[in-house]
Amino acid sequence: MKIKKWGALVACGALVAALGLFGCSSNNAASSASSSAAADGDAGSLTLLKEGTLTVATSPDYPPFENLEDGEYVGFDIDLAKAVAEEMGLECEFVSLQFDGITPAIAAGGQADVGFSGISVDPKRAKEIDFTDSYYIDDQAVAAMKGGAITPDNAAAELNKEGVVIAVQSGTTGETYAQENFPNATVKGYGNSTDCFAAMQSGNATAVCTNLAVVNRMLESAYADAQVVIEVATGEEYAAVVAQDNPELTEAINAALKTLKDNGTLDELTNKWF
Amino acid sequence: MTDPTASATASARRSNVSAPRATARAARPRDPRRAAARRLFVGALMALALLCGAVLAQAAQPSEALALDTAKCTARPNGDTGSEVYGATETRVTWEGQAAPDESLTALELTMPEGTTFGLDDARVMLLSGDNLMTRDIPDVEFSADGETLRAVFAEPTVPGSYVRVEVYEVFFPAEGGAMGFSGSYTTAEGDTLPIDDVTPIQVTGKSAFDQLVSNLEQQEWVKQWNSNKFLRLFFNPPLIVSSIPVVFNGFLMAIGIVAVAFPVAIPIGLLLALMRMSKWRVLRGIATTYVNVVRGTPLFLQIYIAFFGLPLAGVQIPSFPLGVIVLSMNSAAYLCEIFRAGIQSIPKGQFEASRSLGMNGAQTMVFVIIPQTVRRVIPTMTSEFILLYKDTSMLAAVGVMEVVMYAKTIVASTGSITPYIVAACFYLIVTLPLAKVVGKLESRLAGTAAPKKRRKKGAGAVASAAGAGAAGAGACAGAGASVGVTGTDSAGVTGLATDVLTAQPLLKNELGDGLGGFGDHSFGMKNTK
Repeated sequence: MKIKKWGALVACGALVAALGLFGCSSNNAASSASSSAAADGDAGSLTLLKEGTLTVATSPDYPPFENLEDGEYVGFDIDLAKAVAEEMGLECEFVSLQFDGITPAIAAGGQADVGFSGISVDPKRAKEIDFTDSYYIDDQAVAAMKGGAITPDNAAAELNKEGVVIAVQSGTTGETYAQENFPNATVKGYGNSTDCFAAMQSGNATAVCTNLAVVNRMLESAYADAQVVIEVATGEEYAAVVAQDNPELTEAINAALKTLKDNGTLDELTNKWF
Repeated sequence: MTDPTASATASARRSNVSAPRATARAARPRDPRRAAARRLFVGALMALALLCGAVLAQAAQPSEALALDTAKCTARPNGDTGSEVYGATETRVTWEGQAAPDESLTALELTMPEGTTFGLDDARVMLLSGDNLMTRDIPDVEFSADGETLRAVFAEPTVPGSYVRVEVYEVFFPAEGGAMGFSGSYTTAEGDTLPIDDVTPIQVTGKSAFDQLVSNLEQQEWVKQWNSNKFLRLFFNPPLIVSSIPVVFNGFLMAIGIVAVAFPVAIPIGLLLALMRMSKWRVLRGIATTYVNVVRGTPLFLQIYIAFFGLPLAGVQIPSFPLGVIVLSMNSAAYLCEIFRAGIQSIPKGQFEASRSLGMNGAQTMVFVIIPQTVRRVIPTMTSEFILLYKDTSMLAAVGVMEVVMYAKTIVASTGSITPYIVAACFYLIVTLPLAKVVGKLESRLAGTAAPKKRRKKGAGAVASAAGAGAAGAGACAGAGASVGVTGTDSAGVTGLATDVLTAQPLLKNELGDGLGGFGDHSFGMKNTK
């Protein structure tokens, strides 16, 4: 028994030490960030996870919006988040989360301030989190392997059949679209869009349904033997998500987005990535 | 191009559709990427439009040729999983229709089934045009509601021949469900009001008593109070707990099914591997050692990915359930191998010698003397391995196997609450907690010591077996530690173990040590058979 108590004491001590260390490191980061931050007055009044830093949650498996290249976050959303942070006079830091985990994480707080991850504005999602103004409009598309039973000519009918497996990234509007429009097919959710395409190539899924820009990029870069069989102009607006109890941040990001729109940076980024 | 077949069939069904237009409509979805074909087709379409115009100019009654074909009318699935649309639950209705080439709309009315309510705040109308209908145009539209009828008035008449999409949010169908028929009408620039018909009804699943219960729960005052706390709402949302239990239960059955097959399959493989590792033939030893080291030295997650994405590429198509079972049992077999090997090696050498001196051969010694004793020793560790295996089924979620985590994940994705994960955790705990208890009981029986002592030992044993995931050699010791090390800390315990539980023969401590440490000459019985 004695040993047990000692063990508990040691564990407590270790925990406290770890917390202390963690606290120190974050303090250091904050101070270095604030010293390098631009002299933008309103940044200080915002409630942020880390003072002087905009912590951005993203799911880096969604090229050209966000993915990892040599361990670096790259993509349209990444550039945009950096530009927004710069506009707000903040440092920008990214945390990687699974797409379906971003909204809950932002709603719960504690992991990131804002989510930039090709998130479509959706009234259902808006119940949990606040959307900023939209910054991009995208559509849905379905891709299938070339030479398979599904061709652009017959896709709408062929996809809505039993035995057809449509791979989607779970929690995306692509998932909902597939469920709504191809109710007879099996809609199979994967953690990220890369897995969806891998599943299609390996034959575990017949088709992939996700955003058009992503499908195009995936087919271009890695899956030349697949083709787009359906494109749908769903006109989904992409926006960043912020916790509902942080309206000041939403406003600040909206202001930054507006500036970026007005000064042409947004168009520049759009042209760069699409 | 949303649902070309639907639109094609819809147009084919209509009696007043002119034949050439039907052909054009049917042709439209054909592969648009071939530029030449497209140009030809666009030309044909323009010619057609001209033709239509000419025909219309001649005809005295233009309204006869007018039509607004419904291309599709769907509702967004609003269950926690799957593609069902439920009554009395929020959904979004999308209606799409194609106006005739010369038709210009000024207003549109959609009448929902009786008892349906909807919101106007997020409603929107989109006009699609171009190849594959990929060009969006969001017109200025004024919405108003009159009972079940949504009225959209365009600020300016639409471009003739528009493809119109209407999205209505916050739609609640009647709770009883059934086929929801839509109807509507539209007003053209000429001032004609024409009906929209041929709308395929939306199948709405009625609310069961269970769903009603969940809805009632949502309305309760205490639930609202409870949910006003963010933490409680995110992690322990009562209606979500209730509604996710039956959904996650499906995954629970799947997970139980997987381990129920995988574990019994893993046991003989593991035993075989253990015997191979102790074999006198170097080749067998090499094969088994390599297998065990590779499997234990790589993450299960990676093994699952390789099997699920790699095998089909190699032309091996296995459905996900058997494939999941195979991967998990192959993985578990490697760990069981080490458990069995440690168990066999923990049997004191004296047992081998005694059997041999009684005239048994190597195989007989193994089957009748060593393995029966081993089984009793390894049962607690095997149970721990079973617990690990059961928990590892969660990794199959990454490749789309519908088990506990996967079901929970789909609900989390659609609700943004963590509650379903908590429910999923409970489904793991109802298996693992009793089993952990069993492990403790078994270990204390093996140890033959008093109750307070076993508690701490159990923890140590569990840690040791968990640590068995480490390097092979260390793993072997840890495995042995879990079964034998229970009493290995004090000599009294060893005597207790030897006399009470395992055999009637009193043992010497150094013999046990030999058995444990002697990995090199572990093939006692086998060597002697020569």
